[in-house]
Amino acid sequence: MTALWLVPALAAALVMGVLLGRRSHGDNAPIADTDSDAERATSELRERADRLQAALDAMPNGVIIAGRDGRVLVRNAAADESGGDAHNEVLVQAAVQHHLRGALRGEQRSQTVELYGPPRRVVIVHAKPLGAAGAVATIEDVTERSRLDAVRTDFVANISHELKTPIGALAVLAETLIDESDPVVISRLANKTVNEAHRVAKIIDDLLELSRIELSGDLVVASVDVGALINEASSRNSYAAGQRNVTVCVGEIPSGLHVNADQAQLASALGNLVDNAVKYSDVGGKVTVTAFPESQGVTFLVTDSGIGIPSHDLDRIFERFYRVDRARSRGTGGTGLGLSIVRHVVSNHGGAVTVESREGEGSTFRLYIPDRPVPAS
Amino acid sequence: MMNELRKSFHNELEDVRSELVHLAAFVTESIPRATNILLTGDLEGADYIISGDDEIDARSLDLEERCVQILALQAPVAGDLRQVIAALKMIAEVERSADLVCNICKAARRIYGHALDPSLRGIITRMGEQAQQLYIAAIESFVENDAAKAAAIDDMDNYLDALQKQFVQAIFESHSAGHIDLQVAVQLAVVARFYERIGDHAVNIGERVRFVVTGWLPEHKGAARYRSRADDTGELPRQQIPDAGD
Repeated sequence: MTALWLVPALAAALVMGVLLGRRSHGDNAPIADTDSDAERATSELRERADRLQAALDAMPNGVIIAGRDGRVLVRNAAADESGGDAHNEVLVQAAVQHHLRGALRGEQRSQTVELYGPPRRVVIVHAKPLGAAGAVATIEDVTERSRLDAVRTDFVANISHELKTPIGALAVLAETLIDESDPVVISRLANKTVNEAHRVAKIIDDLLELSRIELSGDLVVASVDVGALINEASSRNSYAAGQRNVTVCVGEIPSGLHVNADQAQLASALGNLVDNAVKYSDVGGKVTVTAFPESQGVTFLVTDSGIGIPSHDLDRIFERFYRVDRARSRGTGGTGLGLSIVRHVVSNHGGAVTVESREGEGSTFRLYIPDRPVPAS
Repeated sequence: MMNELRKSFHNELEDVRSELVHLAAFVTESIPRATNILLTGDLEGADYIISGDDEIDARSLDLEERCVQILALQAPVAGDLRQVIAALKMIAEVERSADLVCNICKAARRIYGHALDPSLRGIITRMGEQAQQLYIAAIESFVENDAAKAAAIDDMDNYLDALQKQFVQAIFESHSAGHIDLQVAVQLAVVARFYERIGDHAVNIGERVRFVVTGWLPEHKGAARYRSRADDTGELPRQQIPDAGD
């Protein structure tokens, strides 16, 4: 949070500097006795104005100062790059103009401007009157703050949903079983109870794995055979793939391709990506897993021809318990933690994970793992 | 005195241009918003866009009046006249585009609660993105007086037209697979038309920008073609209206 309270003070000083600087050239109000004094005073004022402008330019927030007549006297560097795309810039500047006019009438104003982008951005425009000096408006970019707020709010809602739903179901099933005497119904309810218990167990397993990956400071680095790793991830998902008639293909991998990484963590990340690709593929679809060497490391590609991910969810899918379609998620049997595990593994290795996706056309996850130094044995 | 008058005229013209750019930026911003409303069934968002259209209508009318005032009071000529005439035409294009964005939101209300196939959703996203790209190019060409960029908008629109055709095909497939009922299918076909029309309005804005910069208008091509049909006496052929009795 920048010191926003400083802005009106700086602005007033800067405007006064500009006005005084002008006054020194006036015919009626000499501020120095001799020409050299006047020059020195002018140069001092100019220096002060330059210093204040430099201070404003160094601020991350946009600052715009208007005189009493509404004319913009001062803009800092951030004010010119606050809107992103041309049309976003126009909308932010229009809001600034609107609120500056209000501030010149003596009102203190503030507005949150949400821009759909792309990229999506949120800025807050504040405007304050400066008395005789005019008015000042600031543009504060709160995109990251509002994203984090959304993540936090959704996380609480999602975790209670994911944990409460199976536990609630278990309680109801157990209560029904107590009074039930028909063996057929008892068997059906018992099966459902087992399924729900497995679901809770899976969530707890994934949570434990996630916290283990998060907490493990030191990686157990060894040379990992990339081909074998991919074959293992593919065969581990072959049963689920067979059930949905999805073909998992392993692409051409350069022979002898190795990467220095934590084998268990890498297997977990790749396994989760293949598992997701199979789950969200259409029946009879195809999943391709491949890898190639890239800038002192290895890049894995997991491509599916499935339902794809909506563009507005793309930057959120790596959050814990985040669900693109909550209604569908129970059917897939996932826990909502798979991609969080992938992100943590990648972060532990200093790599990167990205996704390209289009609804109805499928998704491609790109996992870059740089070679880690192998500890001397 | 004369210089002051010209200065006031140019300030007034600059204000009109800025306000027009602001309206167009508002429409550009509303396109992805409307797409998201359609895909997520965001009824609150739909209401926001639909009620916001009154403001666009009012501001468009104000802007039109300012243009007419400039014409009446300042009697601009040559390039200045082209600016005002083009602005008058562009206001209508922007205002109509805002109506189409509203129509997408109204369609979102009508199909609320109906799940759409991922393939349909994917093409809707693409159409929204392309329509927005066309509008961004239109604004940029207007702000920068860039006739070359304005001329490219027409070709960019071909992709949006192709997407519309692809979408209609996907609607047929989804309907015949029993995933959407006929009412939803019809609404979606109309939505595709709305995106396609937004693209056409962006193309028209581009043509007006070319007119401002170069004096060129697409109608000139057709008119020149017609004039080339004149006979040796300079007489132009007249379209024969078929007799009802024939």
